[in-house]
Amino acid sequence: MTEFFRSILNVISVIAIPGLIVVFLGWGFVKKVKVYEVFVEGAKEGFNTAIRIIPYLVAMLFAIGIFRASGAMDVLVAILSPVTELIGMPAEALPMAFMRPLSGSGSLGLMTEIMKTHGADSFLGVLVSTMYGSTETTFYVLAVYFGAVNIKNTRHALPAGLVADFFGMAGALIVCRILFGV
Amino acid sequence: MLNYVWISLLAIGILTAVGKDVADEFSNPYRNGRAVEIAIEDARPLSADRTSWEATLSLKAEAFSAFYGVSAPTEAVRTPVRIILREEGKRLVLTPVEGTPELWKKMSTLGMTKGQLGGTLTSVRADAGVPVGAAVEFEAIRFVKLRAVTQAALDFANTAVEISLGLIGIMALWLGLIKVAEAAGFVTLLTKALRPITTRLFPDVPHDHPAVGAMIMNISANMLGLSNAATPMGLKAMEELNKLNPKAGTATNAMCTFLAINTGGLILIPATAIAVRAAAGSANPGIIIGTSIVGAGLATIAGVLAAKFFQRLRMFRVED
Repeated sequence: MTEFFRSILNVISVIAIPGLIVVFLGWGFVKKVKVYEVFVEGAKEGFNTAIRIIPYLVAMLFAIGIFRASGAMDVLVAILSPVTELIGMPAEALPMAFMRPLSGSGSLGLMTEIMKTHGADSFLGVLVSTMYGSTETTFYVLAVYFGAVNIKNTRHALPAGLVADFFGMAGALIVCRILFGV
Repeated sequence: MLNYVWISLLAIGILTAVGKDVADEFSNPYRNGRAVEIAIEDARPLSADRTSWEATLSLKAEAFSAFYGVSAPTEAVRTPVRIILREEGKRLVLTPVEGTPELWKKMSTLGMTKGQLGGTLTSVRADAGVPVGAAVEFEAIRFVKLRAVTQAALDFANTAVEISLGLIGIMALWLGLIKVAEAAGFVTLLTKALRPITTRLFPDVPHDHPAVGAMIMNISANMLGLSNAATPMGLKAMEELNKLNPKAGTATNAMCTFLAINTGGLILIPATAIAVRAAAGSANPGIIIGTSIVGAGLATIAGVLAAKFFQRLRMFRVED
């Protein structure tokens, strides 16, 4: 079942982009849109949007970089792991829960390292890879998306994103304990 | 909110770095200013005047662990060094190899010259002009974390610019394609089909607004794992939502709900995690597909409900 599901999605991910190009442009052509002119008109915006993001992303990433390099994560994990172990979160997986919303490359590194030391099919290996797949890098998404439209007052977007992250991590832990728990 | 979190990240980071470096000053894990007695074996002269030598530094395991106060390496320490005995100074240069103790490998990355660990030699003992032993004081290593923090700040600022500039090409490509799809009426078709869902999620956005189409395309691309296409579509959606924004520079409810869906990260195939699992030798890398869908599904639902709840709170209300 999973195999079948996976092969279907593999096919989709290969044909999706050429497919979309054909559908969008073909449909436009049939509907007598001046496809080339309209395409160029839309594409013009790409440069400005990308440039607008720079200050927001610099602000966000350098703060996260300082936090990561300082080793504050280890201190945080040392303080909180006795508490989180009560709800069945292994101390080794705790850094992943904190890193996932902060940094995509950081959590990718943590995931790879844990699988190297504990094995990909160990409980920890399955747990951290599920955690990795269970949410997005909240801080990065906020910086890029709000940066693109020059929004500085982000209101409740961050707390809502962090609630999503918390439930993603907790959900990953619970489902892994039920299916693969020891 | 982001203000406080941002300044906290910076403050916690810098304070932790200072704290660790101060603690290092007291515990002195690198033994700055202290010398350890070593034996020099197989010294071969490198110059005719016999002032520099290729040799092997040898130190008993117990002596190493006693000096550094760490758990003993299982074997005696033996690592190649270069010995320089000149009038202006007697020095040692250690270039780490496979068998070099981890601590020295680490110190070699933190010292003056990357990849080398220098030291000063005192009370050199010689046998028939060939050095056989000495006391070595390695170069002082200080402010490890503060230097790491400085480097990280510069590196990540660069990374941010690289990421943004890297977006230009795919942004242009997808924004062009979306514009054509809009002009052809494809996007309107999409928004009509999903109207029952989108009007509930985004009550402030007119159901036939271009923002709705862009959001639908972004969420579908994300679910299929097409992150290259998803980001341009998401940014397009933000721009369209911003056209409905009465107060420039402040997020609207619809934007926050949309981002809650995005940060939940619902994806049908977590391709990156699966690839890493396969590379790590997993017998069944795809086993996490189901568990990730549960996790990300929960995250997305919780994120949307949280966004809907928070938007009513006074602290997040838009002031006029």
